[in-house]
Amino acid sequence: MFHPTIWCDSDDYRADVEVVDPKKCLEESCKPKCVKPLLEYQACVKRVQGDESGHKHCTGQYFDYWQCVDKCVGPKLFAELKW
Amino acid sequence: MVGGGVIQQILRRKLHSPSLATPVRSWLSSKTAHVDAGSSGVRAFALLGAGVTGLLSFSTVASADEAEHGLACPDYPWPHDGILSSYDHASIRRGHQVYQQVCASCHSMSLISYRDLVGVAYTEEEAKAMAAEIEVVDGPNDEGEMFTRPGKLSDRLPQPYANESAARFANGGAYPPDLSLITKARHNGQNYVFALLTGYRDPPAGISIREGLHYNPYFPGGAIAMPKMLNDEAVEYEDGVPATEAQMGKDVVSFLSWAAEPEMEERKLMGFKWIFLLSLALLQAAYYRRLKWSVLKSRKLVLDVVN
Repeated sequence: MFHPTIWCDSDDYRADVEVVDPKKCLEESCKPKCVKPLLEYQACVKRVQGDESGHKHCTGQYFDYWQCVDKCVGPKLFAELKW
Repeated sequence: MVGGGVIQQILRRKLHSPSLATPVRSWLSSKTAHVDAGSSGVRAFALLGAGVTGLLSFSTVASADEAEHGLACPDYPWPHDGILSSYDHASIRRGHQVYQQVCASCHSMSLISYRDLVGVAYTEEEAKAMAAEIEVVDGPNDEGEMFTRPGKLSDRLPQPYANESAARFANGGAYPPDLSLITKARHNGQNYVFALLTGYRDPPAGISIREGLHYNPYFPGGAIAMPKMLNDEAVEYEDGVPATEAQMGKDVVSFLSWAAEPEMEERKLMGFKWIFLLSLALLQAAYYRRLKWSVLKSRKLVLDVVN
C-alpha cells in the first residue's frame, strides 16, 4: 500500500546520508495544509517589524500556525518511528 | 440610577400578588428611589468606570494569557494507549539509555531503583553491571565511618546534585525537576513532555528571551531554562535504531511513562478481568432481583365496593 510520507521514513535507503528527523520532515510536509495561519503570521511579522514600542508580538498567530501543524503531524509521526 | 432600576425589577418579581402588593410596592420603590437619588449618579459612574477598566485590562491580559498557558500539545498515538496495550519494552530500554546519557547529568529519578529495571528493560546481570558502575555512600561501618562502595540492585538511581540548592546554583536558579513521576505530574504529561522536548523553535516576532533562557512554546510562559537537549544522533542506540530527535523523544517518554506508572500493564489486565466478571455478576444480580420482586410486581389489587 502506498505510504505517502515514505520520504520522511527514518529507515532511509540513503544509508550514507545523515539521518532525517521525521518530525521536522513531517512539519515541512504539513506546511501546505496550514498556509492560512502561516500567511496571517507573516502579515503580523511585517506589522511588528515597524513597531517602536516593543510591546507588539505575534504569539497568537504563531500559536495558531503551530497548532495547525501539530494537528497535522500528530497522528502521522509515530508511524515513522521505530515501534 | 442603575441600582434603583434593578431593585425595582427585583421587587416587581417578588411581590407577585397584585391586590396586596400595589401599595407596598409603590411605597418600597419610592423609598429606594429616594435613597438612591443622591448616590445613584456616583454609583452608576463608578460601575461604568469599573466595567471599562475591566474590558481594557482583559484585552491585554488575553494576549499574555496564551503564552502563559503555553501552546496546547497535540495527542500522539502512544503504542501503550489502548485498553489492553502494554508498554513497548524495547522503547523503554532505549529511553533509559537516553535518560542516562542526556538527562541524568541534571535530572534525578530518585524513586527508581536498579532492581525496578530488571525484567522491564534489562536482565538481572545487565542491571547489576549498571549498578556496579556507580559509587554509593554507605555506612556507618564498625568504626563509625561512612564509606563508599559500588552500587547494588537495591540502590536508587544516582542523583546529580546533593540537594535542591546545589541544583539551582548549577542551573542559574532553575531547579531541574525529578523525573520519576513527571508524566503524571504534568497535565497530559506524556504528550506534553514529548512536545516540549521536540518543540524548541525560534520565538515569534516581537518576543525576545533573556540570556540564559530558551524559547519553547509549550512551556508555560515560553521561557524555559533547559536548552534543547535532543539533537539528532546525540545517542548511539545499542540496537542500531537511528537516533533521530523524534525517536529519542518517543523513547525517553516511554521510559518516563513506565517510571511513573510501572503498574500499568497489571492494572489494565486486572481492570479488564474484573470489569468483565462484575458485568456478569450485574446480570446475575439483576435477574435475581427481578425474580424476587416478581411476586410483588405481579400483585393485583381489587377495590371491593360495598353497595
